[in-house]
Amino acid sequence: MRSSVAPAMSSDAIDRILAFDEGIEPSFGFQAATMERVRAAAAMPEPIPFPWRRAVPGLVLAAGVFGWGAGEAVRYALPEARQILLNPPAISPASARGLEAAGWVALALAVSFCSWILSVRLVRRSSLL
Amino acid sequence: MSPTPIDAQETPGDRDLEDVERVLAGDVAAFEGIVGRWRGPLLNMAWRYCRDRGRAEEMAQEAFVRAWRGLAGWRRESRFSTWLFALAANVFRSELKRFPTVDVPIEEIDEPASEADQHEAAAERGRNESVRKAVLALPQRYREPVILYYFHEMDVSAAARTMGVPEGTLKARLARGRELLRKRFPKLNERSAWRQSSTLHPPKEVLP
Repeated sequence: MRSSVAPAMSSDAIDRILAFDEGIEPSFGFQAATMERVRAAAAMPEPIPFPWRRAVPGLVLAAGVFGWGAGEAVRYALPEARQILLNPPAISPASARGLEAAGWVALALAVSFCSWILSVRLVRRSSLL
Repeated sequence: MSPTPIDAQETPGDRDLEDVERVLAGDVAAFEGIVGRWRGPLLNMAWRYCRDRGRAEEMAQEAFVRAWRGLAGWRRESRFSTWLFALAANVFRSELKRFPTVDVPIEEIDEPASEADQHEAAAERGRNESVRKAVLALPQRYREPVILYYFHEMDVSAAARTMGVPEGTLKARLARGRELLRKRFPKLNERSAWRQSSTLHPPKEVLP
Protein backbone atom coordinates (compact mmCIF):
# COMPACT_ATOMS: atom_id res chain seq x y z
CA MET A 1 0.00 0.00 0.00
CA ARG A 2 2.68 2.47 0.96
CA SER A 3 6.31 3.01 1.93
CA SER A 4 7.53 5.09 -0.99
CA VAL A 5 6.23 8.40 0.24
CA ALA A 6 8.77 10.68 1.84
CA PRO A 7 8.13 13.57 4.15
CA ALA A 8 8.75 17.07 2.86
CA MET A 9 11.90 19.00 3.70
CA SER A 10 10.14 20.70 6.61
CA SER A 11 9.27 17.43 8.30
CA ASP A 12 11.51 16.02 10.99
CA ALA A 13 13.22 12.77 11.80
CA ILE A 14 10.11 11.36 13.46
CA ASP A 15 8.19 11.85 10.20
CA ARG A 16 10.95 10.29 8.19
CA ILE A 17 11.15 7.19 10.37
CA LEU A 18 7.41 6.64 10.62
CA ALA A 19 6.73 7.40 6.96
CA PHE A 20 9.30 4.86 5.77
CA ASP A 21 7.94 1.92 7.69
CA GLU A 22 8.60 -1.03 5.43
CA GLY A 23 5.66 -3.14 6.52
CA ILE A 24 5.25 -6.86 5.96
CA GLU A 25 4.03 -9.19 3.23
CA PRO A 26 1.20 -11.63 3.95
CA SER A 27 2.61 -15.06 4.67
CA PHE A 28 2.04 -17.98 2.31
CA GLY A 29 -1.43 -19.31 2.96
CA PHE A 30 -2.78 -16.14 4.53
CA GLN A 31 -5.50 -15.77 1.93
CA ALA A 32 -6.47 -19.44 2.10
CA ALA A 33 -6.60 -19.32 5.90
CA THR A 34 -8.73 -16.17 5.78
CA MET A 35 -11.15 -17.72 3.31
CA GLU A 36 -11.32 -20.84 5.47
CA ARG A 37 -12.41 -18.71 8.40
CA VAL A 38 -14.93 -16.88 6.25
CA ARG A 39 -16.34 -20.18 4.95
CA ALA A 40 -16.53 -21.52 8.51
CA ALA A 41 -18.43 -18.38 9.53
CA ALA A 42 -20.73 -18.80 6.52
CA ALA A 43 -21.38 -22.45 7.38
CA MET A 44 -22.33 -21.64 10.94
CA PRO A 45 -26.07 -21.69 11.53
CA GLU A 46 -27.81 -18.39 12.03
CA PRO A 47 -27.84 -17.34 15.70
CA ILE A 48 -31.01 -18.47 17.45
CA PRO A 49 -33.25 -15.44 17.89
CA PHE A 50 -34.36 -14.54 21.39
CA PRO A 51 -37.67 -16.32 22.10
CA TRP A 52 -39.69 -13.16 22.70
CA ARG A 53 -43.00 -14.93 22.32
CA ARG A 54 -42.22 -17.28 25.20
CA ALA A 55 -40.40 -14.71 27.30
CA VAL A 56 -42.98 -11.93 27.18
CA PRO A 57 -45.53 -13.54 29.61
CA GLY A 58 -42.72 -14.21 32.12
CA LEU A 59 -41.36 -10.69 31.77
CA VAL A 60 -44.82 -9.18 32.20
CA LEU A 61 -45.43 -11.34 35.28
CA ALA A 62 -42.06 -10.37 36.80
CA ALA A 63 -42.68 -6.68 36.09
CA GLY A 64 -46.12 -6.98 37.71
CA VAL A 65 -44.73 -8.63 40.85
CA PHE A 66 -41.95 -6.05 41.21
CA GLY A 67 -44.39 -3.21 40.53
CA TRP A 68 -46.82 -4.52 43.13
CA GLY A 69 -43.95 -4.93 45.65
CA ALA A 70 -42.70 -1.39 45.04
CA GLY A 71 -46.25 -0.02 45.35
CA GLU A 72 -46.77 -1.83 48.66
CA ALA A 73 -43.42 -0.59 50.01
CA VAL A 74 -44.29 3.01 49.14
CA ARG A 75 -47.80 2.61 50.61
CA TYR A 76 -46.37 1.48 53.96
CA ALA A 77 -43.39 3.87 53.98
CA LEU A 78 -45.29 7.10 53.18
CA PRO A 79 -47.31 7.40 56.43
CA GLU A 80 -44.17 6.58 58.46
CA ALA A 81 -42.12 9.24 56.65
CA ARG A 82 -44.89 11.80 57.11
CA GLN A 83 -44.97 10.96 60.81
CA ILE A 84 -41.23 11.56 61.17
CA LEU A 85 -41.39 14.84 59.25
CA LEU A 86 -44.27 16.17 61.31
CA ASN A 87 -42.82 15.06 64.67
CA PRO A 88 -39.04 15.03 64.32
CA PRO A 89 -37.21 13.27 67.15
CA ALA A 90 -35.92 15.67 69.78
CA ILE A 91 -32.16 16.34 69.62
CA SER A 92 -30.32 17.90 72.55
CA PRO A 93 -28.26 21.10 71.85
CA ALA A 94 -25.02 19.21 72.61
CA SER A 95 -25.86 16.51 70.07
CA ALA A 96 -26.85 19.17 67.52
CA ARG A 97 -23.41 20.84 67.84
CA GLY A 98 -21.73 17.46 67.37
CA LEU A 99 -23.88 16.75 64.32
CA GLU A 100 -23.06 20.16 62.84
CA ALA A 101 -19.32 19.54 63.27
CA ALA A 102 -19.70 16.10 61.69
CA GLY A 103 -21.55 17.71 58.78
CA TRP A 104 -18.67 20.13 58.15
CA VAL A 105 -16.15 17.28 58.28
CA ALA A 106 -18.23 15.27 55.78
CA LEU A 107 -18.46 18.31 53.48
CA ALA A 108 -14.68 18.88 53.65
CA LEU A 109 -14.06 15.22 52.84
CA ALA A 110 -16.45 15.36 49.88
CA VAL A 111 -14.77 18.50 48.49
CA SER A 112 -11.31 16.90 48.87
CA PHE A 113 -12.50 13.74 47.13
CA CYS A 114 -14.00 15.72 44.25
CA SER A 115 -10.83 17.78 43.77
CA TRP A 116 -8.72 14.59 43.79
CA ILE A 117 -10.96 12.97 41.17
CA LEU A 118 -10.84 16.13 39.03
CA SER A 119 -7.05 16.40 39.19
CA VAL A 120 -6.58 12.71 38.28
CA ARG A 121 -8.88 13.15 35.29
CA LEU A 122 -7.05 16.27 34.14
CA VAL A 123 -3.66 14.58 34.43
CA ARG A 124 -4.92 11.51 32.54
CA ARG A 125 -6.28 13.70 29.79
CA SER A 126 -2.93 15.42 29.44
CA SER A 127 -1.36 11.91 29.24
CA LEU A 128 1.16 12.64 31.99
CA LEU A 129 -0.08 9.68 33.99
CA MET B 1 -19.61 6.67 -29.46
CA SER B 2 -17.57 3.65 -28.43
CA PRO B 3 -15.98 3.78 -25.00
CA THR B 4 -12.30 4.66 -24.82
CA PRO B 5 -9.98 2.10 -23.19
CA ILE B 6 -9.96 4.26 -20.04
CA ASP B 7 -13.76 4.26 -19.88
CA ALA B 8 -13.78 0.52 -20.29
CA GLN B 9 -11.14 0.00 -17.61
CA GLU B 10 -12.48 -1.48 -14.41
CA THR B 11 -11.30 0.26 -11.25
CA PRO B 12 -10.62 -1.55 -7.95
CA GLY B 13 -13.73 0.21 -6.61
CA ASP B 14 -15.84 -1.35 -9.36
CA ARG B 15 -14.38 -4.75 -8.63
CA ASP B 16 -15.12 -4.30 -4.91
CA LEU B 17 -18.71 -3.34 -5.65
CA GLU B 18 -19.12 -6.27 -8.00
CA ASP B 19 -17.69 -8.72 -5.45
CA VAL B 20 -19.77 -7.28 -2.62
CA GLU B 21 -22.94 -7.72 -4.66
CA ARG B 22 -22.02 -11.30 -5.47
CA VAL B 23 -21.29 -12.06 -1.81
CA LEU B 24 -24.58 -10.50 -0.76
CA ALA B 25 -26.30 -12.68 -3.34
CA GLY B 26 -24.87 -15.73 -1.55
CA ASP B 27 -21.60 -16.37 -3.38
CA VAL B 28 -19.08 -16.77 -0.52
CA ALA B 29 -16.23 -17.45 -2.97
CA ALA B 30 -16.57 -13.92 -4.36
CA PHE B 31 -15.17 -12.66 -1.08
CA GLU B 32 -11.81 -14.09 -2.14
CA GLY B 33 -11.43 -11.19 -4.57
CA ILE B 34 -11.84 -8.71 -1.72
CA VAL B 35 -9.35 -10.60 0.46
CA GLY B 36 -6.89 -10.72 -2.43
CA ARG B 37 -7.08 -6.99 -3.06
CA TRP B 38 -7.03 -5.82 0.55
CA ARG B 39 -4.94 -8.41 2.41
CA GLY B 40 -1.73 -6.37 2.04
CA PRO B 41 -3.12 -3.04 3.29
CA LEU B 42 -5.12 -4.64 6.10
CA LEU B 43 -2.21 -6.77 7.26
CA ASN B 44 0.12 -3.76 7.26
CA MET B 45 -2.41 -1.71 9.15
CA ALA B 46 -2.67 -4.47 11.78
CA TRP B 47 1.14 -4.69 11.85
CA ARG B 48 1.38 -1.01 12.69
CA TYR B 49 -1.03 -1.50 15.55
CA CYS B 50 0.91 -4.35 17.21
CA ARG B 51 4.33 -4.94 15.53
CA ASP B 52 3.85 -8.68 15.85
CA ARG B 53 3.52 -10.62 12.60
CA GLY B 54 1.52 -13.54 14.01
CA ARG B 55 -0.85 -11.29 15.84
CA ALA B 56 -1.18 -8.93 12.88
CA GLU B 57 -2.23 -11.84 10.64
CA GLU B 58 -4.68 -13.01 13.27
CA MET B 59 -6.18 -9.52 13.60
CA ALA B 60 -6.33 -8.97 9.84
CA GLN B 61 -8.17 -12.29 9.41
CA GLU B 62 -10.61 -11.31 12.14
CA ALA B 63 -11.18 -8.00 10.35
CA PHE B 64 -11.96 -9.85 7.11
CA VAL B 65 -14.41 -12.16 8.87
CA ARG B 66 -16.14 -9.16 10.46
CA ALA B 67 -16.20 -7.43 7.09
CA TRP B 68 -17.83 -10.48 5.54
CA ARG B 69 -20.46 -10.54 8.31
CA GLY B 70 -21.14 -6.84 8.06
CA LEU B 71 -20.98 -6.44 4.30
CA ALA B 72 -24.66 -5.55 4.10
CA GLY B 73 -23.91 -2.59 6.37
CA TRP B 74 -21.66 -0.90 3.80
CA ARG B 75 -23.60 2.07 2.50
CA ARG B 76 -22.40 2.89 -0.98
CA GLU B 77 -22.00 6.59 -0.09
CA SER B 78 -18.42 6.03 1.01
CA ARG B 79 -15.71 4.08 -0.76
CA PHE B 80 -15.40 0.42 0.10
CA SER B 81 -11.85 0.97 1.34
CA THR B 82 -13.00 3.72 3.73
CA TRP B 83 -15.61 1.41 5.22
CA LEU B 84 -13.17 -1.51 5.40
CA PHE B 85 -10.40 0.49 7.10
CA ALA B 86 -12.84 1.96 9.64
CA LEU B 87 -14.15 -1.51 10.44
CA ALA B 88 -10.60 -2.89 10.70
CA ALA B 89 -9.55 -0.04 12.99
CA ASN B 90 -12.45 -0.94 15.30
CA VAL B 91 -11.46 -4.59 15.31
CA PHE B 92 -7.80 -3.82 16.02
CA ARG B 93 -8.69 -1.33 18.73
CA SER B 94 -10.91 -3.79 20.58
CA GLU B 95 -8.41 -6.65 20.14
CA LEU B 96 -5.63 -4.54 21.60
CA LYS B 97 -7.86 -3.41 24.43
CA ARG B 98 -8.34 -7.05 25.39
CA PHE B 99 -4.65 -7.93 25.11
CA PRO B 100 -2.43 -4.81 25.02
CA THR B 101 0.84 -5.03 23.10
CA VAL B 102 3.23 -3.09 25.29
CA ASP B 103 2.95 -2.17 28.91
CA VAL B 104 6.15 -0.16 28.82
CA PRO B 105 5.67 3.54 29.59
CA ILE B 106 7.09 5.85 26.93
CA GLU B 107 9.63 7.20 29.45
CA GLU B 108 11.20 3.76 29.74
CA ILE B 109 12.00 3.41 26.05
CA ASP B 110 15.68 4.22 25.63
CA GLU B 111 16.76 6.99 23.36
CA PRO B 112 19.08 5.41 20.78
CA ALA B 113 22.81 5.59 21.43
CA SER B 114 25.00 8.05 19.58
CA GLU B 115 25.65 7.13 15.95
CA ALA B 116 29.35 7.57 16.51
CA ASP B 117 29.25 4.61 18.89
CA GLN B 118 27.70 2.23 16.44
CA HIS B 119 27.88 1.14 12.88
CA GLU B 120 25.73 3.54 10.86
CA ALA B 121 23.23 1.01 9.49
CA ALA B 122 22.78 -0.71 12.83
CA ALA B 123 22.41 2.66 14.50
CA GLU B 124 19.70 3.67 12.08
CA ARG B 125 17.84 0.38 12.52
CA GLY B 126 17.97 0.71 16.29
CA ARG B 127 16.86 4.30 16.18
CA ASN B 128 13.92 3.55 13.90
CA GLU B 129 12.88 0.60 16.04
CA SER B 130 12.94 2.74 19.20
CA VAL B 131 10.74 5.39 17.63
CA ARG B 132 8.23 2.79 16.37
CA LYS B 133 8.20 1.11 19.77
CA ALA B 134 7.54 4.49 21.35
CA VAL B 135 4.49 4.95 19.10
CA LEU B 136 2.97 1.81 20.62
CA ALA B 137 3.67 3.21 24.08
CA LEU B 138 1.76 6.44 23.38
CA PRO B 139 -1.60 6.83 25.12
CA GLN B 140 -4.36 5.27 22.99
CA ARG B 141 -5.93 8.60 21.94
CA TYR B 142 -2.62 9.77 20.41
CA ARG B 143 -1.31 6.40 19.24
CA GLU B 144 -4.07 5.64 16.77
CA PRO B 145 -3.93 8.98 14.90
CA VAL B 146 -0.16 8.58 14.54
CA ILE B 147 -0.51 5.01 13.24
CA LEU B 148 -3.29 5.86 10.79
CA TYR B 149 -1.76 9.12 9.57
CA TYR B 150 1.42 7.38 8.46
CA PHE B 151 -0.47 4.32 7.26
CA HIS B 152 -2.54 6.58 4.99
CA GLU B 153 0.62 8.15 3.61
CA MET B 154 0.24 11.31 5.66
CA ASP B 155 -3.30 11.98 4.47
CA VAL B 156 -5.17 13.62 7.34
CA SER B 157 -8.64 13.30 5.86
CA ALA B 158 -8.23 9.58 5.13
CA ALA B 159 -6.95 8.97 8.66
CA ALA B 160 -9.84 11.00 10.11
CA ARG B 161 -12.37 9.02 8.06
CA THR B 162 -10.88 5.74 9.24
CA MET B 163 -11.11 6.84 12.85
CA GLY B 164 -14.53 8.41 12.38
CA VAL B 165 -13.44 11.73 13.93
CA PRO B 166 -13.37 15.28 12.51
CA GLU B 167 -10.13 16.31 10.79
CA GLY B 168 -9.51 18.99 13.43
CA THR B 169 -9.65 16.41 16.22
CA LEU B 170 -7.27 14.15 14.37
CA LYS B 171 -4.83 17.00 13.70
CA ALA B 172 -4.85 18.00 17.37
CA ARG B 173 -4.25 14.46 18.60
CA LEU B 174 -1.61 13.89 15.97
CA ALA B 175 0.23 17.06 16.94
CA ARG B 176 0.14 16.00 20.59
CA GLY B 177 1.36 12.48 19.74
CA ARG B 178 4.25 13.82 17.68
CA GLU B 179 5.09 16.31 20.42
CA LEU B 180 5.31 13.45 22.94
CA LEU B 181 7.60 11.54 20.57
CA ARG B 182 9.79 14.59 19.98
CA LYS B 183 10.06 15.15 23.73
CA ARG B 184 11.06 11.52 24.19
CA PHE B 185 13.72 11.71 21.47
CA PRO B 186 15.08 15.27 21.70
CA LYS B 187 18.43 14.45 20.08
CA LEU B 188 16.90 12.77 17.07
CA ASN B 189 16.46 15.91 15.01
CA GLU B 190 19.79 17.38 16.05
CA ARG B 191 21.79 14.49 14.73
CA SER B 192 19.56 13.41 11.92
CA ALA B 193 21.32 14.31 8.73
CA TRP B 194 18.63 13.47 6.33
CA ARG B 195 19.76 12.67 2.86
CA GLN B 196 17.02 13.48 0.42
CA SER B 197 16.66 10.94 -2.30
CA SER B 198 15.87 12.14 -5.81
CA THR B 199 13.28 9.38 -6.27
CA LEU B 200 11.10 10.53 -3.42
CA HIS B 201 7.81 12.36 -3.76
CA PRO B 202 6.49 15.09 -1.47
CA PRO B 203 3.71 14.14 0.92
CA LYS B 204 0.11 15.16 0.53
CA GLU B 205 0.16 17.13 3.76
CA VAL B 206 2.61 17.75 6.56
CA LEU B 207 1.53 18.96 9.94
CA PRO B 208 3.62 21.26 12.12
